[in-house]
Amino acid sequence: MSETTMPFPRRAGLLSAILRQPLAPWLYLAPALVALAVWIYGPLGYALWLSFHEWNMLPFAPIRSVGTLNYERLIDLPEMAQALRNTLWYLLGLLPLTVALPVAAAILTQDLAPRWRNLYRGLIFVPLIIAPVAAAAVWRWLLDPGFGLVNMAIQALGFYPVRFLQSPDLAIWTIVWITGWKLIGFSTLIVSASLANINPALIEAARLDGATEWQVTRRIRLPLLSPVIFLLVLLTILLGAQWSFTYIHVLTQGGPLGSSNNIYYLLWQFGFGSLAAGWASAAGILLFAGFGVVAAGLLWLMNRVTFHDN
Amino acid sequence: MTTKTATGRGWVPHAVMIPLAIVSIFPVWWMFVTSLRPENDIYSSLPWPGSPTLDNYTYAMDSIAVWPMLRNTAIYAVTSTLAQMLTAVLAAWAFVRWRFPLDKLLFALIALTWLVPFQVVMIPNYILVSRLGLVDNLLALLLPNMVSAFAILLLVQSMRSFPTEVIEAAEMDGAGHWRVLWRVVVPNLRAPLAALAILLFISTWNDYFWPLLLTRSENSTVIQIGIQMFLTEEGNQWGPLMAISSLACLPVLAIYIALQRQVIDSFVKAGMR
Repeated sequence: MSETTMPFPRRAGLLSAILRQPLAPWLYLAPALVALAVWIYGPLGYALWLSFHEWNMLPFAPIRSVGTLNYERLIDLPEMAQALRNTLWYLLGLLPLTVALPVAAAILTQDLAPRWRNLYRGLIFVPLIIAPVAAAAVWRWLLDPGFGLVNMAIQALGFYPVRFLQSPDLAIWTIVWITGWKLIGFSTLIVSASLANINPALIEAARLDGATEWQVTRRIRLPLLSPVIFLLVLLTILLGAQWSFTYIHVLTQGGPLGSSNNIYYLLWQFGFGSLAAGWASAAGILLFAGFGVVAAGLLWLMNRVTFHDN
Repeated sequence: MTTKTATGRGWVPHAVMIPLAIVSIFPVWWMFVTSLRPENDIYSSLPWPGSPTLDNYTYAMDSIAVWPMLRNTAIYAVTSTLAQMLTAVLAAWAFVRWRFPLDKLLFALIALTWLVPFQVVMIPNYILVSRLGLVDNLLALLLPNMVSAFAILLLVQSMRSFPTEVIEAAEMDGAGHWRVLWRVVVPNLRAPLAALAILLFISTWNDYFWPLLLTRSENSTVIQIGIQMFLTEEGNQWGPLMAISSLACLPVLAIYIALQRQVIDSFVKAGMR
């Protein structure tokens, strides 16, 4: 409608408005935007397209359109249900290690003398920067049922050796522990840093009014920590299962019997194990959509619930 | 600036921190200790190497191409860090210096990239790289890792806190935006830029999945894949496995020991954003 009534002035106006804009910011942005388009958003679109097709990823093999068949088959897949359930277990298992324990440790250690604080900081940070594959290797060695140090200690205490990575009941929790091990110290440091940002006058005032240590923690520290706690929860939910990817691949390949498989690793197996590009893409798109919804929900909740000290 | 509380809980922090510190550091210590043990002593539970030897290291180097792998990892980590720094400085400057149509949308698109899991885009990216004929080529590792959304966000934040008067004064003196960026802004952001560089370097050095996907031969892969080669081998060779793991961790740990405070600060600030 509007195009037929007033096409020229409008379009010319828009065009010249665009032309009047400085070109410079676009030139500065170009490298980043091109790379993101080529390596993130383009592939995302391609994955969406592939998810409606069937293709075994061989260069000259035909690509067949199959409608929503990939999605339908995925939902019926027994591995999918198990992997989704395990993804949830990974999240629930990680939360104590990446949120609860660090918050407790940070609160209990905030009165440390700077000398000690720096020493401990320096030590508990180390797991984060260790290469994940190296971490997987050393934990496999420590937990080895035959000669690993942990199992030697268990046997010295008179128990049978524990098959941490080979038992279907334990493998997932072992991977959770290794994933969490890398993050406990780091999360503690993040919580400590935001504790240090709390205005000491607030706490002094409460103490003068006779508040107990527990009341100070419950009524002042935890509310003021709520943004960072939320951030850690958000990161764990969105990235937690992904962080365990390397350990799963290197240590269990999702086994035994799929017991340590999660949705990210299943994607990998679909994509590169069975060469089913369509399936893997459909699973990926579902995952992306699901996590987008979760992230939006959490951010919304975060803005409503967290407490800000202004 | 928290004042010391007189609650008599002086031992509690240590009771929390000592176990946490031991759990954090012991596996890394054990990795180095095992790597230095002679083969007949590998199952010893002595917490230090009784008679240290480099045998495991020479064994690892004889079995796989350790030096080319370390070299490739270094090239990959350095070039990718430099590229990510450069693209981030340029992009952040665009957002800070100008307001232009769609700037908010573009910023949101950049910020949202972390929601796109690697596993979703890996197949299309793999197909693209193999069509370009770059499988098993270091360039294939670098190309998809030339932009870090995280680096852009961090630098936008640092540049926003840079006093606008200084920028305006410089432009008043006739300096163009290009000159202002490189002569005024960047030199004054040395600290955050260095912190960012450390962070990017460590994360690329430790990168594992993209190389796993794209490299085929020993001479063109990175050290992380080297560790994996020992891990998946039949029979456990714990000594050489720990030796190559130690080699893969040494450069990062060396940076950490030299610049401990900066490394921790850059990661913690990044985590808090």
